[in-house]
Amino acid sequence: MKLGLPIIDELIDVPAGKVVTYYVDPEVEGDVFLMQTTQKNVEDGYKCCFVTTSMSPMTVRNRFKEFGWDINVENFSILDAYSGIVGDISNEKYFVRDPSNVEELSDTVKMTIAENDLVAICSLSTMIDLCGEDVLEHFKEWCKLASLNDSVLVVQFIAWPYDEKIVEIVKDLSNAVITVGGIHHRVILGQYYGLLKVDWTDVKGKSVLFKLVKPGGVRAYIPKILVTGPYNAGKSTFVHAISERAISVDRLGTTVALDHGHVEYRGFSIDVFGTPGQERFDPILKVLGGEALGVILIVDSTKPESFPRAKKMLEETTRFGLPYVVAANKQDLPNALSPEEIRKRMNLPDDVPIIPTVANKGIGVYEVLDALIDLLMRWSYEH
Amino acid sequence: MLEFDGNVMIYGLPLIGKTILARNIFLSKLKEGYGGVYITTNDTGEDVLDWFKDFDVNFKVIDCISKTIYPDSADTEFIKRVASPIDLTGISVWTSRFLDSYFRSGKRDVIILLDSLSTLLMYTNPQTVYRFLHVVTRRIRATKAKALYIVQKDMHEERTITTLKHMFDGVIEVKEESDKRFLRFISSTQKTDWIEFSIDGKTVVI
Repeated sequence: MKLGLPIIDELIDVPAGKVVTYYVDPEVEGDVFLMQTTQKNVEDGYKCCFVTTSMSPMTVRNRFKEFGWDINVENFSILDAYSGIVGDISNEKYFVRDPSNVEELSDTVKMTIAENDLVAICSLSTMIDLCGEDVLEHFKEWCKLASLNDSVLVVQFIAWPYDEKIVEIVKDLSNAVITVGGIHHRVILGQYYGLLKVDWTDVKGKSVLFKLVKPGGVRAYIPKILVTGPYNAGKSTFVHAISERAISVDRLGTTVALDHGHVEYRGFSIDVFGTPGQERFDPILKVLGGEALGVILIVDSTKPESFPRAKKMLEETTRFGLPYVVAANKQDLPNALSPEEIRKRMNLPDDVPIIPTVANKGIGVYEVLDALIDLLMRWSYEH
Repeated sequence: MLEFDGNVMIYGLPLIGKTILARNIFLSKLKEGYGGVYITTNDTGEDVLDWFKDFDVNFKVIDCISKTIYPDSADTEFIKRVASPIDLTGISVWTSRFLDSYFRSGKRDVIILLDSLSTLLMYTNPQTVYRFLHVVTRRIRATKAKALYIVQKDMHEERTITTLKHMFDGVIEVKEESDKRFLRFISSTQKTDWIEFSIDGKTVVI
């Protein structure tokens, strides 16, 4: 089976009998992943059941419809573990009258596992919230049953701040874990999903940024990092130093439009854009800053007179609260100021990383990228 | 109106005017240019917008109730509907999205009103609500937004209220004595005297 997710489908097939968990940041729309996996397998002809615990079956159907997915087919059914909570009756094939009764809930889930090729649970965390940690004992049984029955169990687990041992049990029982997270920096700058664990094949983890499209569902996209700084600070050199392929639009040796590079690093596929340094191009900075995920400011460590201009460019590009790091470039030249001296002269906060670099020799450039990625991922709900 | 920062609970007995008080504080901030997010668990999004229609203000609504009554209800430009008051993830996702969209549009000051936390506690156990609040209050602090949470007195266990008070930056207590209404604000740095207020139509008069 496939999960129906861009990039991940190129990396793994899900064999029968396995348990896959979507481990979802509470501030990111995660139910779409479960729906997309269900839809993909309904379309491929597998018999699928969607377990709903926090929305009515009609809302579930409408959600599928919003993304353009047709589930009015014979091989799709719903286990309704919601209507009982609000005192409604249900016309679904599978119905749990009292979803807070863990035995009734578990027996019905087992029935769906026995009768379907794929069961998608939306969500295990709501079941834990409703029935308590006892659900985890039953989850163990569901995993065993899925393995015996050659069914695939796909589970959504919302990463609320649960006790660590609950999280560990869920992850340990899962054959594969896919994290769905947000890049937090005051607000959520971007959303990603990544393969955290697969126990049936040897595959390198990969993270992908995504957007939700209606209709369409989860769509991967390439993040943009902006490299900015004053004229002749070494922006183009930096972009070329970190990129596997890069081009510059030059005239008379300086950048008049854009540098563009591409780098595959730490599982991310990143587009790097270098901005021109001259003031007449400042309107471009605002536009690029609005679409970027983070900013690298390159300063010439030997030219403190260019620092006010560097500060202005930083303000233009980070006005949306983007995280940034500073590359203190040309550290090999005489009179180069130290990163701490630059911090003092530019009046930069203590928590802003300033990394010494010699871009034309490739020294320190990946440390700059590391610092920015660490900053972007700092607020992620990783356990 | 009262000045406060961070996450503040409005706490008092039913039918004492907490919602009108909260709406007045919300409104005063909108008039100052704040972005607004109103999370409603009791009234439909349309009812909330209707209440504010005379005041010429714009804000966003997260409607937790319409889909439980009319599953077909669609979102609008100003109203996003989550599946039910149990759908804490939906509430959390849309709160973050609205904060993000205000932030990106250059509006840094935002006020959020959750009307009411007591309804969430009716549908879900307190531990689950604490976990939800842990995430939401942290986001509010990170964005330096302000948030109000309405909580009914005598509806929840005392230890639930104590835990909630620890999660918030302050409490606006509301009480009634001799047919007069009073409020006071308590935080770690200040405690006001009881201030008398009255309600005239939709307006709170202090």
